[in-house]
Amino acid sequence: MDPRKIIICRCEEVTLADVLEAIEKGYTDLESLKRYLRIGMGPCQGTHCIPIVLRILRRATGKNAEELMLPTSRPPLHPVQAKYFLGGDNY
Amino acid sequence: MSYKEKGYITPEELEKLGLLPPRERLEKGPVVIAECPEEIPCNICVHVCPFKAIRMDKIYEIPRIDWDKCIGCGVCVPQCPGQALFVVDLSKPGQALITLPYEFLPRPEKGMWVTLLNRRGEPVGEGVIVKAWQHDRTWAVTVSVPKDKWLEVRAIWIPEK
Amino acid sequence: MVLPDYRIYEHPILDFKRGRRVKFYYRDKVIEAYEGESILAALYAVGYRVFNRSPKLGLPRGAYCMIGKCSSCLSVVDGVPNTRICVEPVREGIHVEPQEGLADIRRARRQENVETIRVETDLLVVGGGPAGLKAALVAAEHGADVVLVNDHFVLGGQLVKQTHKFFGSRDYFGGTRGFRIAEMLSKKIKEYNNIRVYTNGFAYGYFKGGVVGVAVHGEHPLNLLVKAKTVIAAPGAAEKGLDFEGNYLPGVMGAGGAQTLMNQYGVRPGDKAVVIGSGNVGLIIAYQLLQAGVKVEALAEILPRIGGWFVHAAKIRRLGVKILTRHSIVRAIGTERVEKAVLQAYDEHFHPIPGTEKEFGVDLVLISIGLQPDTKFFAQAGAVMKWVPEAGGLVPIRTWGQETSVENLFVAGDASGIEEATTAFIEGEIAALSALLKLGIGGKEVEERRGKLIDFLWNEYRMAPVVRRAREGKLKVTVSEEEMEKIRIGEYT
Repeated sequence: MDPRKIIICRCEEVTLADVLEAIEKGYTDLESLKRYLRIGMGPCQGTHCIPIVLRILRRATGKNAEELMLPTSRPPLHPVQAKYFLGGDNY
Repeated sequence: MSYKEKGYITPEELEKLGLLPPRERLEKGPVVIAECPEEIPCNICVHVCPFKAIRMDKIYEIPRIDWDKCIGCGVCVPQCPGQALFVVDLSKPGQALITLPYEFLPRPEKGMWVTLLNRRGEPVGEGVIVKAWQHDRTWAVTVSVPKDKWLEVRAIWIPEK
Repeated sequence: MVLPDYRIYEHPILDFKRGRRVKFYYRDKVIEAYEGESILAALYAVGYRVFNRSPKLGLPRGAYCMIGKCSSCLSVVDGVPNTRICVEPVREGIHVEPQEGLADIRRARRQENVETIRVETDLLVVGGGPAGLKAALVAAEHGADVVLVNDHFVLGGQLVKQTHKFFGSRDYFGGTRGFRIAEMLSKKIKEYNNIRVYTNGFAYGYFKGGVVGVAVHGEHPLNLLVKAKTVIAAPGAAEKGLDFEGNYLPGVMGAGGAQTLMNQYGVRPGDKAVVIGSGNVGLIIAYQLLQAGVKVEALAEILPRIGGWFVHAAKIRRLGVKILTRHSIVRAIGTERVEKAVLQAYDEHFHPIPGTEKEFGVDLVLISIGLQPDTKFFAQAGAVMKWVPEAGGLVPIRTWGQETSVENLFVAGDASGIEEATTAFIEGEIAALSALLKLGIGGKEVEERRGKLIDFLWNEYRMAPVVRRAREGKLKVTVSEEEMEKIRIGEYT
């Protein structure tokens, strides 16, 4: 098994090797991993990767999901063009 | 290994669950067999049976067939979402008749020769379609089957021309 | 050069009534498609498999989720980058280009600002799947003013690709094929002039005062700011990913993605497949692959027992599909797309057993290891959430009436915890009845109907042994009104 050929976060292209290395360095919760690797910060907002990362983290640290600090969600929840927010008011 | 490990159920398991009709009943004429051993939340068969021959008190119970009320009409066969109902008729001399659900191409037609498959998908012989009718695009196909294979054959495959 | 044709013309269950012919441009090629197809489906039908290239590693990306939840198909449509072409309809004359790496903002065409419209309503429903449609209909029946937004350009959610006859109770469409239910409900929605529908509308955020922002795509894009007295969000779920070597290759797809291609658009996703995971989704899709003319080489399940219902397993087993329990995928092999898949036996500690590799020549590796609720909307709105493995992941705490800790925001369907369509219909109805009570519509009749439904759902339907685990999961996040009050003021954990 080559961890460099396993993609964990499809959007931000984070491999299993990256995640294992980061855990080794002490990034042992989701919030820090997210800040360090940008995991879950792409267009899908963690839809694909969070469950996989959680599984890896739980195995590596023995912590439960609550302790692993699930990342927060912020708008926009989908890719939205800036023009949607610049529009002429019609209130 | 149970049916949940293998993906197919054995006659012994069906017998144990009381899902097989008695031999005398089978020889009298067509009757339905429900190969529905798991308690799943579904009671469609209870509603579609014109003879009220299927009983289920709670929506998730295993269907219980009243062998005396069931006439083996097969109305339930293409309507069961799990495709778990089969009509077996051992009353005719020579061949047994099995009515089973079918949702593939080519379309089944009376007189066609088909490959008979067992519960593991292995070919166990050939049979002839004696009747085929549809309900909402699911066919109920009645095929003739060697009499000793009535407890084995549960699917057909029609070779492309 | 003649392009290949993956469209299905004859199918045992479906008739693909294709719409008007539409021409659009992909790179410099003219692509012929049919109205009603998504851009991705139209490209897939003529043989395209790589839709963009990843920014850092330059890896090819293929179709993956097909329902606007992932990032695999981001493309440039008429100069607009980061467009999910799986939920974007084909339109005459549009120019589509693959997105190589990050979006090139210099090339983004200068565009008119989008008009912002402010809308007020009794009820906003986010998501037009089984839960959302049912909720909108129940509320409209009672006279409430409803706005319904749906990201896809077709209503119905995942019902549109369900070709099997539904299980369950006759009162909730048991015995009817999923796509027919979608047709019936969508038609009914149109009959109500108190339901305003915005398709291709993406709810991008929940803001102060309960205002929901919705970006509506299309020829006349709109920034819709909906101020609703009540909101029912039913955004559904996404398929979980799996980590194995080569898992990025085009051809590795969510099983539901393949289902969208073949059943919604009539496009054959490939020639030969292995399916990973034996839940109902995997089992049902394996059967539907056979119906679409795709050979299923094997279905692997890492656990010793089949996860889904036995009857679904029996249907594929008796057609010769091998179900390999205690097996999973270790490797997908290929350069630009999947050419081979290697499955391996696993021991009881989920470690692969050396020497048990089995290689299959396939062009599809379909992942169906479970769904996870799409709950970003609730988390962002500030709802108190809980991680519940039995529910599929992070879900909002809710009352028996489906209200979250954000007052007047309700949850229904898979986003409240993974189950199936029947429970989604019921939850959608319960949420709508609760919203009506909040709006002061209906009174006693509504209250009684809601009580009966809650009783049926919890004390009968969910008591079936095969769904008991999901029930346990939902019990962990369902509380009384009094407990919810305490949660709201931070006094209850």
